[in-house]
Amino acid sequence: MLRRLMLGLVLVAGSGAGVLAHHGWGSYDASKPITVVGPIETLKYENPHALITVKAADKVWTVTLAPVSRMQARGATADFVAVGKTVSAYGYVSTVTKDEMRAERITVDGKTVEMR
Amino acid sequence: MLAEAPHLLVALEQSGLAAAIRQSTWAYPAANVGHILALTLFAGGVVAMDLRLIGAFAAAPPGSVVRPARRVAIAGLLLMLLTGSMLFTAEASHVAMNPVFQIKAGLIALGILNALLAGRRLDGLLVGAPPFEPLPLGIRLAAVLSLAVWLSVAACGRLIAYF
Repeated sequence: MLRRLMLGLVLVAGSGAGVLAHHGWGSYDASKPITVVGPIETLKYENPHALITVKAADKVWTVTLAPVSRMQARGATADFVAVGKTVSAYGYVSTVTKDEMRAERITVDGKTVEMR
Repeated sequence: MLAEAPHLLVALEQSGLAAAIRQSTWAYPAANVGHILALTLFAGGVVAMDLRLIGAFAAAPPGSVVRPARRVAIAGLLLMLLTGSMLFTAEASHVAMNPVFQIKAGLIALGILNALLAGRRLDGLLVGAPPFEPLPLGIRLAAVLSLAVWLSVAACGRLIAYF
């Protein structure tokens, strides 16, 4: 049993070696906050963080929001960030993933919700 | 989803199980909390076991500490693997490509290998082993390695979020 688990772990460890692409919470540029405004094109209301894509004037941004339970507790339900609604997301651009930003807060229909 | 991740891991992340973990409000946080609680169980067992092997609590016969502590550690490890698998499945392609996760997985393999090798030798040594008598150097070194490896695994686990 343990030996089989060990083999699996070695395989997992070896399979991805060498590639550094990743987005973690450390990899956002907090020194230059931006605001992305536009209609929500897609919504993934999922853990560990909800994700929306927003069609802004310059390009389509992927905006990382908060964990689902926190979103719900603060009134940012799946309906609040439904596809088609216009959102204003203030946050930080990823230094790793292209066209992705992490929202500090979002505003929809005049209501602002903090994401952390 | 990361396109450059191995296909197997992309498929895992796109599976129904992974989607169910992500889409449930509580499954992911529950696995996260369970992972930490299992860590306290595991670390408690490992630390008691390894310290006795190294020579602490010398008044107790080694077997009287090591055997029950090892059972606690194994239970904790199995719970960690279960909850960790849930967390991994939900974000398989991202997590697998994370350099700190790769180090962590390698260290887990090393820790389990060390435990299996030392554990095999230990079973015979513990039978009737008296208090106050140092265990063989190889066993003590394996216990030091075990402590170093498992504490590093815990540190890596927390650091995945920052790289």
